[in-house]
Amino acid sequence: MSRNGFAQKLLSGRQSLCVCVSVVMFSQALLNHRGTENQDATARPSGVVRLRARVKLTDSAPLRGLARKRFFLIHGSLEQNRALVEAIERQPLVTRDCYYTKNGASPALIEWLKEADCESVYCRDVEQDSIAGSKAVPEFAMAFAASEKEFGNATTARKWLTTNLPPNLRDGFYRDRKGVIDALLKQAQASSGAPVQSVMTDRNGTAFFTDLAPGTYVITNLVPTELGQTLATWNCELQIKADDLASEKPYLISNRKDRLVKCVAVEKPAPPCQ
Amino acid sequence: MNTIVKVSVFICVCLWPIYGAVDYTKFSHSTPKHKSACNTCHKVPTKDWTRTSVFPDIIDYPDHDACVSCHRAQFFRGARPPICSVCHLKTSPRDEARYAFRNPASKLQFTIDFPHDRHQDVIALRQINPWRSKLLAHASPPQNFNNCTICHAQAAAVSTPPAGGWLDSYAPPAATFKAVPADHSSCFNCHWKSQEPVASNCNGCHKLATPDAAATIPTRISLKFMHDGGGEKKQHVAECTTCHINITKSATSRGLKPDVPITSCTECHNKEGLRQDLNTELAALDKNKTFTCVYCHTSNIGKLDAPASHYLIAQRPPLKRRDIK
Repeated sequence: MSRNGFAQKLLSGRQSLCVCVSVVMFSQALLNHRGTENQDATARPSGVVRLRARVKLTDSAPLRGLARKRFFLIHGSLEQNRALVEAIERQPLVTRDCYYTKNGASPALIEWLKEADCESVYCRDVEQDSIAGSKAVPEFAMAFAASEKEFGNATTARKWLTTNLPPNLRDGFYRDRKGVIDALLKQAQASSGAPVQSVMTDRNGTAFFTDLAPGTYVITNLVPTELGQTLATWNCELQIKADDLASEKPYLISNRKDRLVKCVAVEKPAPPCQ
Repeated sequence: MNTIVKVSVFICVCLWPIYGAVDYTKFSHSTPKHKSACNTCHKVPTKDWTRTSVFPDIIDYPDHDACVSCHRAQFFRGARPPICSVCHLKTSPRDEARYAFRNPASKLQFTIDFPHDRHQDVIALRQINPWRSKLLAHASPPQNFNNCTICHAQAAAVSTPPAGGWLDSYAPPAATFKAVPADHSSCFNCHWKSQEPVASNCNGCHKLATPDAAATIPTRISLKFMHDGGGEKKQHVAECTTCHINITKSATSRGLKPDVPITSCTECHNKEGLRQDLNTELAALDKNKTFTCVYCHTSNIGKLDAPASHYLIAQRPPLKRRDIK
């Protein structure tokens, strides 16, 4: 065989291989595509719960949306999740002010947190007047000085100030709560045998649970919500029926009874700080 | 025997471009030997970061040592070693100019893993949004708390048109899209050194993935919706999570979808005595089954069947175009 002849055969061999590979890839793509179509065609209908949380801080105060609070949806009835609900109700809770006081936060820092009702220093920007001047927060002033030395300019030092705060004052409160929530979630998943959904309310106190199969669920906030001088816990049963799948199911929760309220919080006085 | 040799040669020739020749002009983090600890090559922060940045950052390619330690042979291969073109604009010992870091023309080799849920918890308020409970509930006071806008401000510039131009010649204005963080400043301000994942733990956020070209514009079903729109009165004032209902439960950004239900729009845009935008388009569709819905959509979406959700909101049974007479 001449070199040209061999090369030609080789070329035609490569072309055949390419054609072969293309056919296989096309078939695979086709199969995948059909798979997706089939998946869509057999997709089960699912329900949506529109959660609205509205609370009163005092009897004379107006009802307000409970903003930025996390709620959880657990498979099963209250009875099936009895151990979990008991664990939720039993857990000791350290209030925000108590946590920061116990961790040595200055009165100025506690006041700064209260001013915008923040749980942590990440809740809002630290402005210049909180670093120096009559409203200065000592922790911020110290962190700013360290940051300025580290980063070499005041703008970055202020914006990155939290990187030089002690961890317990920076995100310790969040981590403490997260530890409690994670343990309860683990228990919830073990007892219900299904993943737990969670959502956070928007500034109007509204949130949506989506992709819900028909069944019974427990809606809970897992850790009590601080409402003024009280702690509010919601643990209620929620039914999703086949009829509910076509539209949003409204679900109003509150700390006050009303004919539209589906779930009323159990309120307890905030424990004294010890 | 001759046939076996020919087949072997044939297989080798076929596979050579894939397995034989190494293209040193391309750098891949997926190469097994490139999977060492990130700080083997990338220094955090880059030396002399103060020259070009106001905050400590990784702003340049690794030094030559990072490459030479393994690629000495390729480094000194010919007058213009191909390996240099990974970072350098010109392969010349006299020209140090490098591409922007990272090179916007190259494919993304990592995805970002960002848990929206955790970050929303961290910036949470303790109870009721304070300014709403004050006397001036109808005034619009300055925002004194952090929310999604700390990372997702309004896009500063009009998006670059996609290849082939804008569909229906509709160029979305800058107010259409929200921006996403384009550098480390939104991350390092908290995660610089003691809050994990810290700056030196690149893998805490950057997960190796199949290389993909960066999207020039976000995928949108309703391209005509403007985040910073709502008419002259700028009435699109809802908080992000009011419409993006699944964000607060999202533990990762992988497979994240915007998930805005039609009800987020129709609360104003299909309300008795206010506006009837959805009803108007469904009525037009009733009269002409080839009608393209244009109020929210460009034609790629507007010419499809209206989803059942749209009909349900209009309190009508769902219809397919083929069933319209």
